[in-house]
Amino acid sequence: MSDAKAVADRLVKAKRLNALLTPPKDLRKSLNTQIAAARPTGVLYGMPVAVKDNICTLEFTTTCGSRILEGYRSPYEATAVAKLKAAGALIAGKTNCDEFAMGSSTEHSAYGRVLHPLDKTRVPGGSSGGSAALVAAGAVPAALGSETGGSVRQPAAFCGVVGIKPTYGRVSRYGLVAFGSSLDQIGVFGRSVHDAARVLSVISGRDPRDSTCEDRDPLRLPTVPESLQGFVIGLPKEYFPPELDPAVRRACDRAIRIMKELGAAVREVSLPHTPYAVPTYYVIAPAEASSNLARYDGVRYGPRFNGAADLRSLYRSTRGQGFGPEVRRRILVGTYVLSAGYYDAYYRRAQQMRALIVQDFRNAFDRGVDLLFTPTVPSPAFKAGEKLADPIAMYMSDIFTVTANLAGLPAMSLPIGRAKGLPLGGQLIGQAFLEDEMIEAAYALERVVPATDEA
Amino acid sequence: MSVSRDEVLRIAQLAELDVDEETLPTLADQMSRILDYAAQLSAVPANGTVKVFVPGPDAIRFRADQVTPSGLAFGPEEFAPAFKEGFFVVPKLGQFE
Repeated sequence: MSDAKAVADRLVKAKRLNALLTPPKDLRKSLNTQIAAARPTGVLYGMPVAVKDNICTLEFTTTCGSRILEGYRSPYEATAVAKLKAAGALIAGKTNCDEFAMGSSTEHSAYGRVLHPLDKTRVPGGSSGGSAALVAAGAVPAALGSETGGSVRQPAAFCGVVGIKPTYGRVSRYGLVAFGSSLDQIGVFGRSVHDAARVLSVISGRDPRDSTCEDRDPLRLPTVPESLQGFVIGLPKEYFPPELDPAVRRACDRAIRIMKELGAAVREVSLPHTPYAVPTYYVIAPAEASSNLARYDGVRYGPRFNGAADLRSLYRSTRGQGFGPEVRRRILVGTYVLSAGYYDAYYRRAQQMRALIVQDFRNAFDRGVDLLFTPTVPSPAFKAGEKLADPIAMYMSDIFTVTANLAGLPAMSLPIGRAKGLPLGGQLIGQAFLEDEMIEAAYALERVVPATDEA
Repeated sequence: MSVSRDEVLRIAQLAELDVDEETLPTLADQMSRILDYAAQLSAVPANGTVKVFVPGPDAIRFRADQVTPSGLAFGPEEFAPAFKEGFFVVPKLGQFE
């Protein structure tokens, strides 16, 4: 049983990272109340879990890292949050993120960038960078994030923690602020595979309030296996290009060697449409975002920005001033690709390509592969500011993660080594609703991989 | 293919988004680069037979046709920028072209 003061102190100590948006006073007050109300029989009793600021909570404001929702208090809470509380967990504040989860560095937050816990000149990844940084800094054992194109796995890799994105439909999205509805999923961060997996197990399962959530029981956790005997691990050759960072390659080679030593059969596979995944994603996600973000117009929630002589100028000035540059860019790109005259050339093509990417995965799994192993990101954490002026360069850091979102598959990142002190992540991609197999393999790998050794 | 200044303004109008003059050139340039990058998708032959992938449950689950309480902890007067007597208050409609 943790006490409120100790939990809050650990979070306040990590203040320099700018990872937590909740003011210390509000945090302390709420934790006191929560501890008194927590159910002692819950499986997560007393476990502090920080929550990304695009997931609705009753305890704290929900701003999505945006000025357009500054000070917004949600009148309801996400199902994932309600499930955590029912299991005895403590909601340990809201974490900073890229505005509306759009970004790969947590530099696109209206409330300032998040610092990498090991090197303040670098980014923690994104968009769930605040959650990743707090777990890496030891401020909380676990945190919730959300994924549309890698926003849990990529920061998990950069910060050296475990990040799991479950199958589309595994976790209810009720109370997750929508970005790309055919891609969004709530994900989890943990210091270890087990911390992340037990939180995932608690938040998973059916929810009558979300019709896209599958009618399934919560995820059952596997036991820690002695070996990887019987596992067939596929290595998609498109994820190991010649230009891959040499340290990332060395760390992956070492992890692959370990998996073989543990008894796994390893074979090369091909996912030929991988090179088209990023352009596909950056058509579909902005298209869905432009539609989802139409609701922020200064009428129903959030602040209203002035200069509003009539309704239309109220919409335009509120949205123009309330959204930051990356969100504005994506809304415009999304509106463009959905507009008459361009729909077929962009959106329809992207939809077709998405189907081909899904088929690539089906083909690999149909040939007897249980899991795929890849690097999570092509390089370690980059410098703050490095990719801000070049959106395409920023988007390319999602190259190995967007595919699982496009295909709705479960995937996770776990630390597999370091490059000059910076963490590197290895990714496992599983088959739909077979998170248990993926987590089982991660348990085995985690036990032996030298996660903090130079690769 | 490149997006012109005027095109950005037209799209911004469709998106109900004010774009200021200073950021317009950068925005046009960045949108052009993003869309040029996405244009590589046209390298794939258009194929009407590819079935679009829709993630999630195969069929919509029906719920019992019952009214359930909304379960909101508080009403819009707490979070709306302007709310009076059960209505969201907005400025006059103005001209919609």
